[in-house]
Amino acid sequence: MKNFIKIITVIGLVAATWGCKDSFLELAPISNPNAEIFYKTRTDFDLATNAAYNTLVTVYHPQGPVSYAGELMADNVTIFNISGNQADKWQFRDYSLAPANTMVYQFWQDFYKSLYNINIILDKIAPADIDAAYKSQTEGEMLFLRSLYYFNMVRIWGDVPLVTKPVTAAEAYNILRSPSTEIYAQIIKDLNEAKAKLPATSSIVGRATKGAAQTLLGKVYLTTGDKTNAAKELKEVYDSKQYELLPSYASLWDVKNKNTKESIFEIQFLGGTATNPYSNYYLEFFPNSIALGFYGAGMNQVVDDIWNEFEKGDSRKEASIDTGFVDAKGNFTAAKFPKKWTDKTAPLINQSIAANNNFIVLRYADLLLMLTEATGEVSYLNEVRKRAALPLYGTAAYPSKYNTVALALEHERRVELAFEFHRWFDLKRTNRAIPVLTAKGKNVSEPKLLLPIPNIVRDQNSRITQNAGY
Amino acid sequence: MKKLLPIILAFILAVPVVNAQSFAVKGSVTGVNDTDPLPGVSVVIKGTQRGTTTGADGTFQIEVPSQETVLVFSFVGYQSVEETVGSRTDISVKLISESKSLEEMVVVGYGTQSKRAVTGAVISINYDKFKDRSFSNVTQSLAGTLPGVNISQSQGAPGASPVIKIRGVSSITAGTNPLIVVDGVPLENFNLNLINPQDIESIEVLKDASSAAIYGSRGSSGVILVTTKMGKPGKVSVSANVEYGSQKVVRRVKMMDAQQFIETYVDAKNNAWTAQGGNASDPNSVRPATLKIPEDFTNNPQQFGKGTNWQDVMFRTAPSYNAQVTVSGGTEKTQYMFSAAYLDQTAVLDANYYKRLSVRSNVKTQISKKLSVGLNLGITSIFDRTEGTQGKSDVISLGLQSNPHFPVYNENGNLGFRDPNSTWFRFTSYADMNLWHPYSLTREVDKSRKSFNTLATGFLEYEILDNLRFRTSLSGNLYNSRNAFYWNDKQKYGYSAVLAAQGNAGDAYMFNWLSENTLTYEKKIGEHALTGLLGYTSQKQRDETMYVAANNFPNDLVHTLNAGTVTAGNTTASEWSLLSYLARVQYNFKNKYFLTGAIRRDGMSRFGEDNKWGYFPSVSAGWLISDESFLSGVNAINSLKLRASYGVTGNNQIPNYGSISLLAAAPYVNGTTIANGLKVSNLANSGLRWEKTNQFNVGVDLAIFNNRVNVSAEYYNSITRDMLLFVPVPDITGFSSQLTNIGKMRNRGVELNISTKNLTGDFTWTTDFNLSRNRNKVLQLGPGNAPIQYVDNVVTVRTEVGQPVSNFYGYVFDGVFNNQNEIDAYPHHASTTPGDPKVRDVNGDGKISDADRTILGNYQPDFTAGITNTVGYKGFELSFLFQGSFGGEIANNNVRYLGTWDNGRNFFASMYNYWRSEAEPGDGKHFKPSVNYLGLQKQFSSYWVEDASFVRLRNVRVSYALPAKWSNKLKIGSARVYVNAENVHLFSKYTGYDPENTTYGTTSYSSSMETAGSYSSGNAPVPGAFQGVDYGSYPLPRVITVGIKADF
Repeated sequence: MKNFIKIITVIGLVAATWGCKDSFLELAPISNPNAEIFYKTRTDFDLATNAAYNTLVTVYHPQGPVSYAGELMADNVTIFNISGNQADKWQFRDYSLAPANTMVYQFWQDFYKSLYNINIILDKIAPADIDAAYKSQTEGEMLFLRSLYYFNMVRIWGDVPLVTKPVTAAEAYNILRSPSTEIYAQIIKDLNEAKAKLPATSSIVGRATKGAAQTLLGKVYLTTGDKTNAAKELKEVYDSKQYELLPSYASLWDVKNKNTKESIFEIQFLGGTATNPYSNYYLEFFPNSIALGFYGAGMNQVVDDIWNEFEKGDSRKEASIDTGFVDAKGNFTAAKFPKKWTDKTAPLINQSIAANNNFIVLRYADLLLMLTEATGEVSYLNEVRKRAALPLYGTAAYPSKYNTVALALEHERRVELAFEFHRWFDLKRTNRAIPVLTAKGKNVSEPKLLLPIPNIVRDQNSRITQNAGY
Repeated sequence: MKKLLPIILAFILAVPVVNAQSFAVKGSVTGVNDTDPLPGVSVVIKGTQRGTTTGADGTFQIEVPSQETVLVFSFVGYQSVEETVGSRTDISVKLISESKSLEEMVVVGYGTQSKRAVTGAVISINYDKFKDRSFSNVTQSLAGTLPGVNISQSQGAPGASPVIKIRGVSSITAGTNPLIVVDGVPLENFNLNLINPQDIESIEVLKDASSAAIYGSRGSSGVILVTTKMGKPGKVSVSANVEYGSQKVVRRVKMMDAQQFIETYVDAKNNAWTAQGGNASDPNSVRPATLKIPEDFTNNPQQFGKGTNWQDVMFRTAPSYNAQVTVSGGTEKTQYMFSAAYLDQTAVLDANYYKRLSVRSNVKTQISKKLSVGLNLGITSIFDRTEGTQGKSDVISLGLQSNPHFPVYNENGNLGFRDPNSTWFRFTSYADMNLWHPYSLTREVDKSRKSFNTLATGFLEYEILDNLRFRTSLSGNLYNSRNAFYWNDKQKYGYSAVLAAQGNAGDAYMFNWLSENTLTYEKKIGEHALTGLLGYTSQKQRDETMYVAANNFPNDLVHTLNAGTVTAGNTTASEWSLLSYLARVQYNFKNKYFLTGAIRRDGMSRFGEDNKWGYFPSVSAGWLISDESFLSGVNAINSLKLRASYGVTGNNQIPNYGSISLLAAAPYVNGTTIANGLKVSNLANSGLRWEKTNQFNVGVDLAIFNNRVNVSAEYYNSITRDMLLFVPVPDITGFSSQLTNIGKMRNRGVELNISTKNLTGDFTWTTDFNLSRNRNKVLQLGPGNAPIQYVDNVVTVRTEVGQPVSNFYGYVFDGVFNNQNEIDAYPHHASTTPGDPKVRDVNGDGKISDADRTILGNYQPDFTAGITNTVGYKGFELSFLFQGSFGGEIANNNVRYLGTWDNGRNFFASMYNYWRSEAEPGDGKHFKPSVNYLGLQKQFSSYWVEDASFVRLRNVRVSYALPAKWSNKLKIGSARVYVNAENVHLFSKYTGYDPENTTYGTTSYSSSMETAGSYSSGNAPVPGAFQGVDYGSYPLPRVITVGIKADF
């Protein structure tokens, strides 16, 4: 009996002291990696860089900020019924944006979340003990992405808080909106640095290159009104002969034709299965219908105004706009929607469709048209016209209503780059937004060409100012 | 060990030794206040196992060895009485019902206490209070009867756990489920469906901080102690119970029929078309696609008749069966209780069911005078199929949204209009035709879940010295759940899209172990009594999940995933651990002055490196005034006690790795291959610490007029500090929120409980009434006290200083503008035309803008009350319970789908009174429908918020105890038949099923189990903040059961 009690007592005491160490309470996460030990090795930075590129998917999402501003606020497209908070989406189309608009806030978050993923790499890679060439190229790529985002942000909101490194919540309260001139200065500085650090071509398809940085820089200069520097950067890319127009405009949108010679910077997608990072443009731009087994979201539905903008015989119209769809019974439903990202081979997955189309952010035709804009030389414009097999600018057959280079460019950019998220930015850059959009019945005024600062942002930090129109 | 056997043998041999001078004693046993004989009372000779029980007439006869013999009379629910035989041969005994006694034992954390000594706010409920109720979860039976404990059934599905809030809501985003302690084992987010209510001896609810503080970091949402039954020394008791029930959804949501729907649909299209400059009579050919109207609707709407009521299709009257056997008994040294129960419940929702098998074995034995051991083992398996609880896109919500003009079956026997060989296929040309046929989700889906739970506690108690006891226990809770899902190819065209077959399977595993070691010291010196407790516990839990999905099935013959191609799969695991030290001293003087002090120190893995440990102290005092000499002359007062307590409790319910920064996957594509990526998914907070609640409580207990009136009243004031909150941080950090300790919140309230025995004697009548009122107020938030606002599916909730947590926040609609003059006379949205809502210019600036949004209500009621009346005559007993909740609001999220045009979904019948013209203005509340609402019609507004006040006849119960002569004839000890009805009638104006419905669960992290937190329809990061939002919930059926209980 005594022994029995002793045994029990010993077991009790052992149990009592078992785990009586603080290590018992130190549990490492099992199914998520711990960030504290990340951002050290080259493999870490490979993974982090991929995550940074992944932010392009959000920013250039068909329901992302560049799509809403670039297309829905201009005159190419409209939306009817659309899932989510419908009224908030219509506010873009109708120029009735309120600071409480949930999409505007979503976009604000999207941009700064993306910037964090870029800034943390720039912050952590500098002291890391890794190969200098790798470091330099990674920095160049991150600076390119950061510039691309700030360029979009400054065009969408004007002055925005400038964050170039990871900041804590406490620090964030002291970062207010920087004047857009400062944002542009940062972009130009970053792009020049990126240009120096980036190779002409990357061994990894889809990564930012020197040409991409220069093309973007050219566009930034154009936007700031610095045509001289714009011409210089763009001409260098032109002269590199690295890029060219594809012979056929339609083949540019063939789902199998990715990363062509015409592409300067392109967002990469991979369709086929639900687990792949597949492309959403087809699904989102498809009319609001489930006739083909997936839920078309009905974003960016094409309006007649751009349908009529195409000249007679311009095959780009057919390549750019789909006119309807045929359901299971063979019935045709008429509806105009963007065709460029159609993937008829994509498999249906749970009412969604895993399309394979990439999205081109910068392409050579855009560069050519910018060159004309920067230099006044119409030869670049005519290269684009030539591919479209349309009368060249300056010839008699050229439509007389576009009787200036500026008007010719406005027309050409609209049809050549239709639905590629350029239109509203182009109109703003050329100071044409008010007259053009007013004529189309949009209730637009100068202050409404900037989006409101979301009211949640100002609720959190009352020192953040609002834009004049709100 | 060898010495143990002879000892046991000696005991066994000692028992049959009978004194030769024995003689017979007879007598009778009755209750103290009535003359009814008590059958089945155990009469045992003290120190032996010899004994008998009283017969149906309450009499007994027993041979006793000597005049010194002491007889022990004991009976469930009564205080045991010891009588020395002396020279008597006829002994009459009156047993005092335990509930009338201050000496009744109450389970408190890590021990028991006499009711007299309780100094905190503790409610104790014994088995009698819920024995005939039919719920699978014991807490559902307690709803409406416990002051300060709000138990609401957010979802009516069988097995759905209720939301339990003890003394308001103490946190904004951390978990708020009370801690469940089963036979001493604290279990976070435990599903009480896993404990068969019939196995439960008592439930104790620890409401105030001083009684909950012994559970330290897990006590701030209150603690519910569940104690299972144990046999009593004496005769073996066998009890059996059989029940049959019938469930029915009696309160439906009133939806439009086909004719009303078509009229509204057509008006919505025409209103939008005329707003664009069109004419209502224009044909489809000139209209844009979204404004075309099916020809059937314009040419011949009558062909559809009243159409289909989808609620008739999906709901049915459902039976349930419940059977149970319990065997208990024991000797002075060994007690046991074994039980087995089976519940087979068909759900009111088509194809759904809930089956539970539970077995339990509780054994305790004394090995020696000083040493005893025991084991409580409960095994439960639940097989169920439960749908409809996720709101929004789940079957019940979708059923309401489906268009009424579609038939249940089309001419091909298929379910929907997407059947290409059906004439109904013509409707596919319209993108706003909606059908989610309930059967496409119930009968075309093969779905099941199997859950298994084993909860075992082995313990050993050793008396080291007199008065000093050591107890060690080891508990394990192993939970495993598997689910399988297979969706038939094409779903007979009944779903919103024609989908290929798909299947998935999942598995959840949880293992929780706990080691507890306590030393208890009890000492009485003169009139001073002292009990001390020291303890050390450690607990750890691991959760794992597994998920596999497949598609590409060749046909629907095989539903397991091997038949298809696996497309996705993943597994996850996570852990937490907790170390605790605890100490408590309970002291009393003359058994009328009581003082308790306790402290617990908890360390937990979830918290930040710098703040892993926290202290949770408490102190409380009680004074039994009625024992004072100055009150001894006041005969009216039987007892009067004053209590006061103060304590600190904590809340640890945050994600397991909440304090560290984690990485999440963010893949990209490099050309043609997937490139893995990792990004930071949350900000670290190494300083993360416990959320702490300081609560002050005073209470008074009064019993007067021969204990016929019992009153308890409580007042409490609690302040929660360092609230664990996903605090919105400036988005420019790259993150929207960070888990931080922030702010202060107060809950202050009063509780009153009055129990009266209005009539005694042959005809009895008792009334139990309770009333509680809690005021919740946020005192402080983050930097600058910036309000915290969350939006999910349009509904906006806002937490701001000076207000209760999570107010509904939006525009106020003051009816409908009837004509242009009314519009011109009041500020309005630019798009406004007659028939549009009149939005209140709250800030009076002459325009309607975001700034006109204001507080629209809050789900928390102003007060809740419950009243139970029980009348009895001879063996009959009738009891009915009314429950009420007053002053709360509910956000009817379904207004988004059903109260406004939403892509052609059906509408609430109430909306049919919409504005049609100045001459036909409708009810003045419902604005005109339109496919394109241009104003604020679809924004969150008062149009969505309804009064959630209700009165419910929650329970009616009739029982009849068979007279002794009958039960004797049937050769059974006693028997009772009963009829029990739950949720009998609801008095409420709410448009949805039930004002208790909420489709957002309480926040509960790190639990594989089905809890109230498992029901969530939205994607809100913090479901707890969206309590009181109903996005298409499962109705609460009326349940009527008949049953019979017999003891042998």
